[in-house]
Amino acid sequence: MMKRNDLLSEIQSRFKEDIIELFDKSSHRVYLEIRPGAIIRVAAYIFKDLGARFNIASGIDTRSHIEILYHFTVEAIDLLISLRVKLDRKKPVIDSLTPVCEAANWIEREIFELLGVQFTGHPELKRLLLSDQWPEKVYPLRRDYKEWDKTAVRDRGTK
Amino acid sequence: MGITTRALLKSLWVFHLSTGSCNNCDIEVLDCLTPRFDVERFGIKLVGSIRHADVLLVTGSCNRKSAERLVKLYKEAPQPCLVVAIGECSLSRGMFIPSYNCPKPLDSLVPVSAYIPGCPPKPEAIISGVVKLIQKVKGK
Repeated sequence: MMKRNDLLSEIQSRFKEDIIELFDKSSHRVYLEIRPGAIIRVAAYIFKDLGARFNIASGIDTRSHIEILYHFTVEAIDLLISLRVKLDRKKPVIDSLTPVCEAANWIEREIFELLGVQFTGHPELKRLLLSDQWPEKVYPLRRDYKEWDKTAVRDRGTK
Repeated sequence: MGITTRALLKSLWVFHLSTGSCNNCDIEVLDCLTPRFDVERFGIKLVGSIRHADVLLVTGSCNRKSAERLVKLYKEAPQPCLVVAIGECSLSRGMFIPSYNCPKPLDSLVPVSAYIPGCPPKPEAIISGVVKLIQKVKGK
């Protein structure tokens, strides 16, 4: 197994055009911001060639972008690599990682239902956790989410 | 006190339902049943099916999916069925009150007989709540 710094410089030289920023946070943690179009290439290299473990993906709606972090652990050298992609808030679309890594299936479905990110190439992009009564195209973790349920009670019953 | 109430209060059989809690209340409920507090010596026993139960213990903040199941369970319970809300979440949804997934408090879905506050309530509080519930049903 490569050493930590060799591994990082290998990734950097291999994906020179795709990497926007590398943030070396600590000895165990690296953030790698990449172009959304390159996610499959970079993730496949980290997952298949480096033998990293896919932990989880996380999504957040920031002021400027919808951001997804894909967290991979290279266990042999105890390094957590987080791939960061920034998607357009108006039309968040990205390639699905599921064909590369089956474990991405459910978390992509969850990001799809909660943030409305479209994962192209996902085998079964449907809701995972929300109730059946939840209306279409309403995404609860978006910044502009407005309550749609008129029957909801939002007080504690006290004056 | 009629014979039904007497029979009901002699030994309360409890069905424990978590409607999306953090499991801390569930652990405290479990504490009540294990040897240190051992409510089974008062005839309070956990049962595996709502159809055997006299009391429905509810923990958690009733999210959209579990609220449906809760109402269904309450309808399946043999009447009279007492509902006990345990913990801040099932009382008022606590910090989850603005949550998109917790639209209604428990007591707007089913009638609640006893509220046991706390986050989580101590086993002593739960036992005291049960005692108060029994007193209330007895009409004291």
